This record gives sequence, structure tokens and C-alpha cells, in this order.
Amino acid sequence: MLAVPPSRNIINKRNNEMASFSIMKGEDFLDFSSSTDCNLLDSIDFDQLFDVGINEGDVLPDLEMDSEILAEFSLSGSEDSDMNFPHNFPQDSSENHSRQEGEVDFVDHKHLASDLGSTLSSINGEDNNNGVSKACQNLKNPSSYKEASHKGKKSSNNSPKNAQGKKKVKVDWTPELHKRFVEAVEQLGVDKAVPSRILELMGIECLTRHNIASHLQKYRSHRKHMVAREAEAANWNQRRQLYSAPPPTANGGKRDKTIHWVAPTIGFPPVAPMPPHFRPLHVWGHPSVDQSLLHMWPKHRAPTPSPSPPPPPSWPPLQSPMTPSFWHSNHQHGFAPPPPIQRFPTQPVPGIPPPTMFKVDPSITLAVGQNIPKPPLLDLQPTKESIDAALGDVLAKPWLPLPLGLRPPSTDSVLGALQRQGVSKIPPTSG
Amino acid sequence: MGDSVSSSSSASYIHMVQHMIEKCLIFHMSKEECIDALSKHANIQPVITSTVWSELEKENKEFFEEYAKSQGKEDRISEAETSEIIQKMISDHEDRDPKASSK
Repeated sequence: MLAVPPSRNIINKRNNEMASFSIMKGEDFLDFSSSTDCNLLDSIDFDQLFDVGINEGDVLPDLEMDSEILAEFSLSGSEDSDMNFPHNFPQDSSENHSRQEGEVDFVDHKHLASDLGSTLSSINGEDNNNGVSKACQNLKNPSSYKEASHKGKKSSNNSPKNAQGKKKVKVDWTPELHKRFVEAVEQLGVDKAVPSRILELMGIECLTRHNIASHLQKYRSHRKHMVAREAEAANWNQRRQLYSAPPPTANGGKRDKTIHWVAPTIGFPPVAPMPPHFRPLHVWGHPSVDQSLLHMWPKHRAPTPSPSPPPPPSWPPLQSPMTPSFWHSNHQHGFAPPPPIQRFPTQPVPGIPPPTMFKVDPSITLAVGQNIPKPPLLDLQPTKESIDAALGDVLAKPWLPLPLGLRPPSTDSVLGALQRQGVSKIPPTSG
Repeated sequence: MGDSVSSSSSASYIHMVQHMIEKCLIFHMSKEECIDALSKHANIQPVITSTVWSELEKENKEFFEEYAKSQGKEDRISEAETSEIIQKMISDHEDRDPKASSK
């Protein structure tokens, strides 16, 4: 339940303690949220909260003072771990502006408090987002789905306010934000990354330690999945390379042994043994992620010099373990049939399967998503079904534009040629 | 049927055949494969497909030249060989990971 009292003592110590404190608090808050409801807001005296000079470099000292407030919190419970306590810590000195904003808002909030309970869910997303973006330019609105996924964890109250002190700040983990997070984490070392330090490294206002902590948790768990996949991929790559023994001629168009493109890897996790820090996260969570990221299973196709447009569709595995949209940009690329001329643009870069542009490619790569793609998915030839479907399409919908748009021969010349071959009527009336 | 009717229906028929050929091109099929496919799936007489293909080729020489080149590259390893390789990979994979063997 309320671990507040004990934690208060801990708080006096600062730093490391802080981290643990905040996490504890976070958890506590979660508990609160489930137990209490809206009365919390009523009992919280925001002004007091913020008056506490929270913006001083170290919030810890403030915590001491805040014991009363903490007590209040304990009574009322907080909705979400986003209580700003943890949040205040690291960035404070730079945050004055946001605090001020916060203050102003708080005043309003007090009034809102009573209403909040009932309107919390409705507030969801809108004001909160606004609030957030006000204070942190980094955060963006668009990915509401992310909120949805966050919601699972937090009670779905969005306080119309953000940043300082206010309860529920729903953080939008935009790709950019996430990237900074990842950078910070990597700097510290994934396993050693501590939310408070991450916060410091990120230097972004509006993030509470709890936000970071929960995000970190998700990130770590996501990585585990990725690592597993990676291992699979590495195996595949090995095999592939074994089979495609003839060394790749590094030369662009020269498909040395077509084996490369033929080589199934269609849709295989792109290839090259992922660098230990692949950043799936770049792709993570944001639907509109860059094209090049899209298909990159976890990693950028950057190494692959493929000029060709049809980016291998995004790597589905990313999607399955977690909330699909949240975890990665699951893009079903509505790719257009690749122009045949556009050959396998990628040279057999070590390990990187050329975008399988081979006949079936697109459909196959897309299909691959479900789990590690197996060679069976690779078709040397277009499947009968797909051909049938394509042709059927033409028959059924003659008004559709030509896929390649080749210059049509003149009708007369075709008819003439046909007649020379003995065909006099077209469409032929007999079979 | 009057000439006008048949000529416009001819024209649209030819257009349709062209459309289908283009679809086959996307699949990277050769002329023969294309003729075969159109005949099987759409009942287009081979001679018609062949003629339309030839005419298209005349009209779009560069395209077809490129196309032929890429077709040529494909032939480097025969389909049979490739199939074999793939089958091997499949069975290896299955050996390795039986549960993934849902084909």
C-alpha cells in the first residue's frame, strides 16, 4: 500500500535513494489509482505542492518538506505514477518555466479537481496532450494509440495539465523522444540504466521518473524479444550464406549468383547480424516512421544501398509480442508492384538479402510477418494463385489503369499482325 | 456485328490483353510464361498474347531490353537448382525448429 512514510525517510538521502523512491512511489501510485478514485484530487493541495520550491536542483530536499503533502497523497492516492515528485527532481533547475506554468495550471486544477474525477476519462488525451506539448515541445500528439497502450498501465485519467506536479501526465513516446531515451539508456548501459539518470540524460521536461521507469521496463522486455528474433535471424543468415556460397561480387547490378536474391530471405529479418544495439525502437511505436525504418526489421536498411522503392515490408515479428502499433511501426506497405526493371537494387551486401524483388516478393514478404519466414515462402515463380488473381482482376475491372503504363501499340497494327497469323476476329468468338 | 462495334471491342480486348501482359511483367515472367498464363487463367489465345506482346515490345523497346537483361540474369541459376537449395533450407529449418514447420 502506502509506502510513503518509509520512503520519506529514504528520500532524505538523495540520488540513488531517489531513484528507488520514485519507483516505489510510482508503484504506490498505481496502487492508489486502483483504490481511490477522484477524491484524491480534492485533497491535494497543488499550490502547496508547488510552492515547495520544487524547482531547486535537487528535489530531494523538497521531499522533506513535502512530507505533509505526501501524507495527503497517501490519503488520497494518486492516479498515476506520474506524480510529479519524481519528475521534478532532475530537471528542475531548468524547469522554472514549466513550473510556473504548472502553478498557473494548478490553480485551475484545484477548481477542476472536483470535476476531474468524473471527467478524467473524457479529458483523456486532449488537454493532456496540449499541456504536455506546451511544456515539452518534444512531445507530440498524434500517436494517440500510444496513449492507449499507456493507459493499460495508468488509470486513464489525463489531467488537463502536464509537467509539474500534476498528476497524470500521459507521455507520448514519440520516436524522437524515444530515440533520446534509447540513447540515454545505451549510454548508461541497458541493465544499469536508472530512470533518474536517464531523465537527466534526456533532459526533457515533462517526463517523470515514473514515465521513464515504465518505459524502461517496456523497452527491456521488448529487447528480449528482439534478441530472440535476432538470434533466429542470425541463424538464417548463416544458412543463407552457406547456400549462397559463391561470394558476392560486390558489384551492384551483377547479381553474382542470383542465388542472392533468390535466396529466400525474403522477408528475412534483414540480415546482417544485428548490431548489439539495433534500434528497433526507432521504429517503435510510431506509425509514421520513416520508410527506411519501416521495413527494417530492427535495423535500418541504411546499409543496404537499395535505391529501389519497394522497401521490404516491415518486419512483423516486431509487432506480435507487444501492442502492435505501439511497439513498432507495423506497416503494411501497400507497395506497388515493383517495376521489373528495378532489379535487385541491393548488391549482395554481406548478409543483407536484396529486397526480394523477385517475382513473388511483395506478397511473400508481407506474409512473412508471422514468424520467422521460412524458405517455403519463397517462390521461384509467381504462384498460380497470384497470377490468377492478377489476371482475374484485369478481366473483372478493365477500367483499372495499366500497372506499368507501357505505350500501347496501335490497334491497327495489332489487328494487322493478328490477321497475318490467321486470327480474324477478336475477341475470338470461339474459345 | 458492325465494324465499329468490333473495332472498339477489339481495341478494348487488346487493351485488356496488354493489361494482363503487364501484370505478368510485374511477376517477371517471360514471354512464354505469360502466354501460358493468359491462356490458362484468362483463356486468351496464345497467338493473341504473343502478338500483343510483340507489338508492345516494338512500342517499348527500351523497356523490353532492360527486361530481357534482367531476365537473363535470372537464368544464371536454374530454377531447379534454386528449388533444391530452397528445399534444403526448408528441411534444415524444420529440423532445427520443428514447430515452425507449418508450411
